[in-house]
Amino acid sequence: MRKLTSVLLVLALLMTGVVSALASGPVVIKFAAQGDSTPATQAAIDAYNAAQSAYKVEWTDMTNDSGAMREQLITSLKAGSADYDVLSLDVVWAGEFAAAGYIEPLDMMLDEAGLNPDDFNAGSMASGLYSGKQYVLPFFPDLGLLYFRKDIVSEEDAAKLTAGDYTWEDLKGMAEAYMGQAGTVEGFVFQSALYEGLVCNANEFTANWTNLKGGLEAMKSFIDSKATPDNIMTYTEGETANSFVKGESVFSRNWPYQWNEVKTNGTITIDQVGVAPLPGGSTVGGWLLAINKNSQNIEGAFDFIKFLNSPDGQLVLSQTYLPGNNAMLEDEAVIANNELLSMEGFTNAMKTTIARPVSAEYSKVSDAIQQAVHAYLNGTSAIEDAVAGVEAALAQ
Amino acid sequence: MTWKQFLFVLPLLLLVTTFSLYPIFTSGVYSLFDYQTNDQTRNAVYTGSKLNAPLLVEDGDYLLFYLRKDREIASPEAYAAIDALSADISAFLAPYEGHRQPIDLSEAGAEAVTAFLDDIEARITGLVGAYPELDLRVSAGLDNQIPEMRSTIVGSNFIGLAGYRQLFGDQRFFDDLRNTLIFTLVSVFFELIIGMGLALVMNRPMRGVGLVRTVSLIPWAIPTAVSALIWTYLYDGTSGIVARVFTQLGLIASPELLLTSAGGTMAAAIIADVWKTTPYMALLLLAGLQVIDRGLYESASVDGAGPMRTFTQITLPLLKPSLLVALLFRTLDAFRVYDLIAVLTKGTPETLSIYAYKVMIGQGNYGYGAVIVLAMFLCVGLIALLYVKVLGAELMND
Repeated sequence: MRKLTSVLLVLALLMTGVVSALASGPVVIKFAAQGDSTPATQAAIDAYNAAQSAYKVEWTDMTNDSGAMREQLITSLKAGSADYDVLSLDVVWAGEFAAAGYIEPLDMMLDEAGLNPDDFNAGSMASGLYSGKQYVLPFFPDLGLLYFRKDIVSEEDAAKLTAGDYTWEDLKGMAEAYMGQAGTVEGFVFQSALYEGLVCNANEFTANWTNLKGGLEAMKSFIDSKATPDNIMTYTEGETANSFVKGESVFSRNWPYQWNEVKTNGTITIDQVGVAPLPGGSTVGGWLLAINKNSQNIEGAFDFIKFLNSPDGQLVLSQTYLPGNNAMLEDEAVIANNELLSMEGFTNAMKTTIARPVSAEYSKVSDAIQQAVHAYLNGTSAIEDAVAGVEAALAQ
Repeated sequence: MTWKQFLFVLPLLLLVTTFSLYPIFTSGVYSLFDYQTNDQTRNAVYTGSKLNAPLLVEDGDYLLFYLRKDREIASPEAYAAIDALSADISAFLAPYEGHRQPIDLSEAGAEAVTAFLDDIEARITGLVGAYPELDLRVSAGLDNQIPEMRSTIVGSNFIGLAGYRQLFGDQRFFDDLRNTLIFTLVSVFFELIIGMGLALVMNRPMRGVGLVRTVSLIPWAIPTAVSALIWTYLYDGTSGIVARVFTQLGLIASPELLLTSAGGTMAAAIIADVWKTTPYMALLLLAGLQVIDRGLYESASVDGAGPMRTFTQITLPLLKPSLLVALLFRTLDAFRVYDLIAVLTKGTPETLSIYAYKVMIGQGNYGYGAVIVLAMFLCVGLIALLYVKVLGAELMND
């Protein structure tokens, strides 16, 4: 009898073990990333979840206001929370997050997985290299582009733009000349609200801070001219894209995502759109992938970001984004997915990329530049003050 | 008060100290330290020596990782040196593993860490120098990991009153103080005038007064963030009706200036604030009006006093306590304004609350942020004191 009882007991224990193993399912990996108006992010997550069964990635939808997202992440990470396992970081945050000890260095995991940091987008990887340690893999690299209306701009001007053979002054002339044609109401739209986008735009106008006075004056002359909307100083990427895809503007400065916006939400067709490098160079932007140091599932988190940078993951992401894995830039399937990669204006822009200031206290530098430039653009301060302000910020 | 009576008050006293004074005390402590969250040598209040054990172990693991990689490419005669280094580093790290926070460090402990780092730095330099043709990865450790490991010995970040000295030289603080004062004075002034008018009307016995009171409270009932959003639509340069009307009236040169120019944003914030909080002011004043004895007005009218005389001789003096409370509440509220401006214009005109938030959360500088917050606390205290002195010393003695 006693024997029978113990056999039953063992059986019962085994049963509960089996049941609980079945019930526990895959480990959940929480991925903090901004909302994506294109299906690419969700498709990549679905592809990962379908490709393996050990982990299940859940997307925590963050605000599209980058500044607010950064503050939200910092508040969570500072408290040592494991709310998010994988973080998507704006390129300019990585140094600060690494210095603060919020994110996990990846070198050893990369080595174990047989991955070489040199195989990924150099700009993205460099923004996440702090104190000799590699903290990030690319999510997607980004760069500033000039979008123009092929159907409005003359062939001769289009050739000049595509080759990058023009100045801000030329662009202003074109914007004023072409404005009003084919139902457009604005010549040129760009970002000059008081936020990080202003730093990206000022970087391009001033040719990577080499021509502060001339660049800022060119920027102001656009704002004061009739070629830009009256409320251009409240424009962020959203307003810019909105104006361009609705066919209201001839020229616009925006990131590569606007190409897809035209395709999905545009009242104009993609055949009417061309891209070109910007006169002062294209600011590098984009997002990085990092792992929360307090995550309970660091292995799973790494497995996911490794997948996003693998050929399979890159193919899915490339329907909207540029590949961060260099080898994929020449992959035929990726090029077929993303026609930007085969455009001359785009490849020219890739050759003239410029970075924003690199600093462990980037937000302070950025804030000072924003204040100085914005005060000049809205007429509160003189050009000399703005130049001095930006110079002081860059010297920090 | 007997000790038994005191026992009854004690819980309340404890509650007040915990919930009211403790946060202020903490801010006061922060303000004396160079406390910055984005720097691992200053990311907490450190009074004595600490060792950032997690970072020490992380960097040590990097050295071990480099040595492991180097052993794969090194010739066998280097194995002895590499293995000895690896073993020593592992043994040294062992007691520091498993910590998630910096640990206390004695003077002897700090010396031991420094001595160890000196020793392995010399040995790694020797190893790298002995095999120059191998281009050993561990040489990267000399540039990055060893210096970072030295920085894990964290000293005290007490700076005393240096933060306050910085405040006096901070032009942005004084600009923001001016913005805050302008916003406070102008908005409270208009709220008082309009609120008083509203309260007098609502105090009248007339038909539909209940409806008027309810309707007038609506702006106050809407959450500030939502009403700020409503106003951004009204002020919008391309489609906002308020912006359009102001332009037609000639108050502003063109509609977009309302949300982009310095003067425009200030006016926009004040108008939105007056719209929102006037009902609150009116409500507080109405409560004061209702406790005034009706008989006084009857006697006044029998004595032949006109409406103006009645207002200045009866209403105002008897309303003084309510007026003080209403003004005090509104002034302090307006002085601390954050949400309205943060939503309306994303931070212009910059007020002290917004500046403090940017420094603390945006830049992670809790030390200096605490200094700004305490300066605000001081201003708020001064304003309260001023009101009590000017408007009603007797009120506090009741």
